[in-house]
Amino acid sequence: MKKKSLSLLLALVMLVSMAFTGCTTNNNGANSTNTGTSTDTTKGKDDLGIALITSAAGANDKGYNQSAIEGLKKVKDEFGINYKVVEATDVPGSLTQLASAGYKLIFSLEYNFDALINGVGGSKSIAEQYPDTTFVVFNDNPNVKEDGSVKHKNVVSVLFDVHEASFLAGALSTLVNENASALFNSADYAFTTGAAGRKVGFLGGSKSNGITVFGYGFAEGINYVAKELGVKYTFYSDYNAGFSDSAAGATKANTYYTDGANIVYAVAGAVGDGVDAKAKEVKKLSIEVDANKDSNQPGYVLTSVLKNTEVPVYEISKNYKENTLDQINGKVLSYNLASGATGITDLSVIESKIAASGKAKWDEIKAKLDTIADKIASGEIKVTNAQAGEAFDKAKLENLNMPND
Amino acid sequence: MSLLSSILYDMVYHSAPLILAVLGGLFAHKANVLNIGLEGMMLMGAFSSTLFVFLTGSLWVGILLSVLVTLILGLIFSFFGITMKSNFIITGFGINIFVLALSSFILKYMQMANINVSSIVDVTGLKINIPVIKEIPLLGSLLSGHTVITYLSFILIAVTSIVMYSTKFGVYVRVVGENEEAAKSVGINSTTVKYAAVLIGAALCAFAGANLAVERMALFTNNMTAGRGFIAIAAIYCGQARPLKSSIYAIIFGLAKSLAINLALFAGPISGLFEMVPYLMIVIVLFIVSAVETRHNTIRGFKLE
Repeated sequence: MKKKSLSLLLALVMLVSMAFTGCTTNNNGANSTNTGTSTDTTKGKDDLGIALITSAAGANDKGYNQSAIEGLKKVKDEFGINYKVVEATDVPGSLTQLASAGYKLIFSLEYNFDALINGVGGSKSIAEQYPDTTFVVFNDNPNVKEDGSVKHKNVVSVLFDVHEASFLAGALSTLVNENASALFNSADYAFTTGAAGRKVGFLGGSKSNGITVFGYGFAEGINYVAKELGVKYTFYSDYNAGFSDSAAGATKANTYYTDGANIVYAVAGAVGDGVDAKAKEVKKLSIEVDANKDSNQPGYVLTSVLKNTEVPVYEISKNYKENTLDQINGKVLSYNLASGATGITDLSVIESKIAASGKAKWDEIKAKLDTIADKIASGEIKVTNAQAGEAFDKAKLENLNMPND
Repeated sequence: MSLLSSILYDMVYHSAPLILAVLGGLFAHKANVLNIGLEGMMLMGAFSSTLFVFLTGSLWVGILLSVLVTLILGLIFSFFGITMKSNFIITGFGINIFVLALSSFILKYMQMANINVSSIVDVTGLKINIPVIKEIPLLGSLLSGHTVITYLSFILIAVTSIVMYSTKFGVYVRVVGENEEAAKSVGINSTTVKYAAVLIGAALCAFAGANLAVERMALFTNNMTAGRGFIAIAAIYCGQARPLKSSIYAIIFGLAKSLAINLALFAGPISGLFEMVPYLMIVIVLFIVSAVETRHNTIRGFKLE
């Protein structure tokens, strides 16, 4: 009897949950977390506003997604446009539901384009099904045919020039490494000094253009400063760190630190958190990515290379407000250092660790970085953009030895 | 020399959680319960230990609470798998998926990307340096500078052997596993024995997770166990669920991981290949073991364990 009633209960629970799942998907779009304050369905379609699908990291990632949502909040405050945020569990499904619900501008932060651009399972692509809706995708430009022409007029691709920001991070790393003894209190850190310490590490989650773009920019930045100073650097790199095994990533970073590297840059999701923890343990430095994670292990994260999604979200929403979306439709929008959508942090966290005697040197380094940023903006310094398919030639980096690349 | 010693050190580092999961899993395995939920239990240990350390501010209270929570998880597994007689594989996978979702849900709810307790736990301070031994070149990195749970895991290999082969409980576990009807006929409560076997596994997995997360890194990141629970299951099978033999396989996998990490520095562009070493090792070892076993098998059509 007991068993029977239990199984009945379980069946009931299942039934109820299924019924409710149906409700949510039908009414609100897929698995919505309603951060948008006023998505009242009783209002007319014109009030729907803008929709955004987060990446798997979720809305509270303190970075990539969160800053995009900040952008939408700003849009709401300034233009009074409503917005809706959907967590990515089923990107194609959410895209379809949001588009059919009448949203005319949809941002999709997840790296998932196939159903949108090409269509899956023999069905028409989502972009083709909803020609009146503008879809904005990030970090890649999937919207091209083989001959290079645009596939869908209603898709916008947003790219961040993270190679330029990584170049800055590389330049900063070299400058800090060369002056470590002057900048920091020797009690706080255990840097390897001299030629043995002229090594920098890079950990990537996978060997793809989206990751190597960071590594190559970083390497070129190191080489640029090393050349100026007339020193030789070694660049350890590994593009197989994955994105979840933070323990293995930390051990791998440890091999770099033990071998003399003072700074390790990780572009590998959660593995980066492990590298930061290891940096603190061995009293050296790490570099973070995507969001401002300088406070992850305060004083041991040198800087973070940012992808500030707020800027493109705000600007594209402005086009939506002014009914000028057709100006950007079908285009690839690249956001460079000058736009503020990418760059490195303001270095305020690491600055608190700078010794009083090193302040002058530190200001000098910051001024130097500004000069380099200006030179990148003016085109005087050209950084390889692997994301755009540019080839990287390590032989050109005369002052950098890259044994693992 | 320094390469060799760091290989040895990292081998011990990465073996410890595997050994704990192996020892935990083989009790269940001997009691004829296939505990595929080791991965989930380990992740629960990693997650809850970091969370409780974060909340309570004390390392050992956190680890203790984490063991309790993981025991509850073990009870859930046992209730469905043993009392309700559902399929172990389905239940185990349920546990794995549930813990993964639960941990990322709570992180999301607390609005954190990871749980960082480095302000509470001093990772360097947890390492125990043994006075004389740490000076000896290779032996020093092998034996000295590890954490409490790491040492515990190696001690537990011996303890498990004794419990399994020299105590009444060990005999009960094996009898229940080999022939449940026979065990029942002499008055052994097979359900209790199975529950106990699974719960021992859960507790040890909690330690494995705590070792991986709090003790070594003072950090929890999503899905940080990254398949170690499944490698433990492979080690149990390779070692035919004998404590020492299975643990040696766990150490071999730890060595493979350590080689992959340490040799990558010197391998040049092919360093990616080393990432396959641990997994390749599993396939090769399982193949050789089963080939040898079949050869030594005297009963036709049966595989002895």
